[in-house]
Amino acid sequence: MIREQYLGQLWELLSPVPEHLRREWMYDYEEHFRMAAEHGRSEAEAAHELGDPRLIAKELLLNYRVGQAENKSGSITLVSRAVLAAVSLGFFNLVFVLGPYIALLGVLLALWATAVGVGLSSVMAIYEGLYGGGITMLQGAFLAMVLIALGMLIGAGAHWLTRAVAKMTLRYLKFNSRVMRVKKG
Amino acid sequence: MNVQFKKGVLDLCVLALTAWEDRYGYELAVTMSSKFEVAVGSVYPLLSRLTQEGYFSTYLKESSEGPPRKYYKLTPKGHTHLMELVREWRTFSVAVDELIKEGVER
Repeated sequence: MIREQYLGQLWELLSPVPEHLRREWMYDYEEHFRMAAEHGRSEAEAAHELGDPRLIAKELLLNYRVGQAENKSGSITLVSRAVLAAVSLGFFNLVFVLGPYIALLGVLLALWATAVGVGLSSVMAIYEGLYGGGITMLQGAFLAMVLIALGMLIGAGAHWLTRAVAKMTLRYLKFNSRVMRVKKG
Repeated sequence: MNVQFKKGVLDLCVLALTAWEDRYGYELAVTMSSKFEVAVGSVYPLLSRLTQEGYFSTYLKESSEGPPRKYYKLTPKGHTHLMELVREWRTFSVAVDELIKEGVER
C-alpha cells in the first residue's frame, strides 16, 4: 500500500517529463522497493530512506531542466525554466537570485526594444524625407539607412548578450544546485 | 563532513564504483549511503544526472530472483571524466596532506 502510494505520487509529480524518461527514472524507485523487500526491509522503511517523493521529483526535474537548457545552449527560455525549477527546489533564495535574474531579463528586453525602435524609426525618416519639409528625400533615405544599420547593430549586441547571460546563468546553476540530502536518523 | 564539500566528490565516487564492473542502482545507492552520510533517495537522481550527461548508459539484465535489474555501465566518456576527476582529487588531497603536515603535525 505504501509502495503503491509512493510510486503513484512520484509518477504524478514527474508529469512534465516525456514518458520514456519518466519510465526509466521510475524503474530505479520500483527496483528500490523490490530490493529492500528482498533484504527484509518493510515498505515503510524503504519509503523512509528514499525520502519525500516531492523532493526526489524536484531534484529530477531540475536535472532535466538544466540538461535541456544545456542541449540548446543560449536559449533564455529554457534557462529561465531551469532557474524557476531551482528556486522552487529551494536551492536559491527567491529574492537574492530570482530578483536580480528578472532585473537582468528586464535589461535585455529593454535592449531588444531599443534595437527594434531604432530600426523602425527609419520609416519615420523616409516619411519625413518624402512629405516633410525639414529634410530632402536623399537626406531622408540616408538617415533611414543609418538608423536601420544602427538597429541591426544594437540587435546583434542584444543577441550576443542574451546568449552570454543564458550561458553564465546555467553555469552558475549547475555549480550551485548539486546538493545531496543528508541521511536522517 | 560538510555537505557542500561532499557533493563535488560524490560524482567521483559513484563513477569509481562502476570502473571495473557494472552495478545496479540499489547496490550503488546503499554503498554510497553507507560510506557517506547521504540519503539513499538522493543517489538515484545523481545516477539519472550522470546518465543524462552521457557518463553512464543503462540496461536491464535478468536476475535469478524477480524482474530484471537496471544496471549502470560506465561509458568511454564517463571513463575519461572519471580519470580527470581522479587526477584532480589526487592533486587536491596531496596539497591538503602537505598543509596538515606543516600546520598540525609538526
